[in-house]
Amino acid sequence: MQEDLKAPEERGKEVSEGAGSEELVKMEGIHKWFGEVHALKGVDFSINRGTTVGLIGDNGAGKSTLIKILAGLIERDRGRIYYQGEEVEIESVRESQQLGIETVFQEQAIVDPLSVARNIFLGREKVHSFGFGKIMNDRKMLEETEELMEDLNLNIASPDQEAEFCSGGERQGVAIARAMFFDADVLILDEPMRALSVSGKEKVEEYIKKARDQGTGIIYITHDLHRVYPVADRFVFLSRGEKEMDIRKEDCSQDELSKLYRRGEE
Amino acid sequence: MNTSGKDIALWFIQNFVWLLAGAFFVVFSVTLGRMFFNLNNLHFIFYVSSMVGMLVLAESIALISGNFDLSVAQNAGLTAMLTGVLIVKFNIPGLVAIFLTILIGGILGAFNGYFIGKRGLNPFLVTLSTYLMFDWLTYVIRQTSILDLPGIYMFPGSGKIGGIYAAIFIFLIAAILLFLFLKKATYGNYIYAVGGNPDATVMVGVNAGNVVFWVFVLSGALSGIAGLLYTGYAGAITSTLADGKMFMAFAGAIIGGISLAGGRGTATNAVGGIILIGIIEAGLTMMMIAPQMQGFLKGVLVFVAILINQFRTSFRKRLLMPS
Repeated sequence: MQEDLKAPEERGKEVSEGAGSEELVKMEGIHKWFGEVHALKGVDFSINRGTTVGLIGDNGAGKSTLIKILAGLIERDRGRIYYQGEEVEIESVRESQQLGIETVFQEQAIVDPLSVARNIFLGREKVHSFGFGKIMNDRKMLEETEELMEDLNLNIASPDQEAEFCSGGERQGVAIARAMFFDADVLILDEPMRALSVSGKEKVEEYIKKARDQGTGIIYITHDLHRVYPVADRFVFLSRGEKEMDIRKEDCSQDELSKLYRRGEE
Repeated sequence: MNTSGKDIALWFIQNFVWLLAGAFFVVFSVTLGRMFFNLNNLHFIFYVSSMVGMLVLAESIALISGNFDLSVAQNAGLTAMLTGVLIVKFNIPGLVAIFLTILIGGILGAFNGYFIGKRGLNPFLVTLSTYLMFDWLTYVIRQTSILDLPGIYMFPGSGKIGGIYAAIFIFLIAAILLFLFLKKATYGNYIYAVGGNPDATVMVGVNAGNVVFWVFVLSGALSGIAGLLYTGYAGAITSTLADGKMFMAFAGAIIGGISLAGGRGTATNAVGGIILIGIIEAGLTMMMIAPQMQGFLKGVLVFVAILINQFRTSFRKRLLMPS
């Protein structure tokens, strides 16, 4: 790796978001092994309220492993996680959700045979509680989904429509709507533009901007620098399990960033 | 196609099995006359269907969860034999024995559920093993029939309420409860979700392994009830109580439109599947068709059902996919 790659920020060093911006998540010295493979080698990462961070790297760079730890899908082997300044343990998806972290995992996070409304509320259904169990309140879920669809300009024929019959962009919109409905403080988007049409991509960009304007901290995982540049405020590059760069958008043009990224991957 | 036309087409597609059952009923009624078209015959068709119907429900729930269970019929046989032996040895009262049957069926199902849901083993391999284990264990326990059973224990499979076999009521209540559970309970929703996309279900924080475990417990309990009904029907517990019924359990579920890919299908249509088989079985028997030919024709029926389901799925997609 060449020395000038450290410019404009020192490699691997944490970048400040500026005064007044509340730090939502801070991950310190995260290590993860899968058998002999050292997938994350002491990675530091943070995200502030109302900002979008592009988490960038090629396949095997460690992006998915890092966010799966934050989402509660896998456990770290070493390192600390802080949420709004307090050290936390995240051992399940539920715990992650309870903190206010929502994750949108590409397209596979949608269950085709279920309706749009049931997808949005899956795992956190609106229910009528009886002594012997819980019965789903479909009417309430449909009504709230309808409101959410209007709010996000999601033009799906009906909240009762099976998710299988949604287009790629609509599916991604449903996944993001699910995360937004539960008032996520941190929204993790894993390759949100993959397999989308041009209009679908524009729609997802709109959702991201809207969520950020509402104060959500967004982690946008991708290997496509071109897509993430317009929507992100900061860029974190991972390569072979290590953080290579952490750069603010105002410090770097898209061309400069592309060059640094390409050279970092050489 | 306009909205109402589309709705009607969808209704026909979704309830196709009932239309088919109705069509076969009319054909046999016209061909065989009063011999087929009489209340006693209908009553008997429903009675016989209710036993294998419990196994169809047991299979259906496993299929909806994206798994399958080869051991449902053998579970019914082993559960009945274990309960029978306990009744004889400890003189257990009939009512307690009925609950014991459901419990033992559930425990045998939990064995499958643990290794499939919690340990991630392949459902085909696990239930093939338990098929063999349950089948032969029944013979190991006892090779002769158990005849002297309490009247209350025999009632569900042989007794009548208001002139109608209790087994029919038990089966219909089980089917309705299962339908409502799958459609309305949160856990039922998880069963569809796990069957439709297990990864997505895990990602939203649902413990998919747990869901699969309880699916097999429920499937086992339903199989146990099937064993109870077969006992009443046969008037005894034999080591061959539900032999060969596994294929009918699968056939009923598939004909009823339960998807082998998981996540789709309803308990009520599975009921339609088994009633269709019951009508065809009764009709062919009355037409004096040889049993071996009947067996072959059942195979043809399952094959045709697979083709119809494929057509139904693609037609439904065409109707619902936005243009």
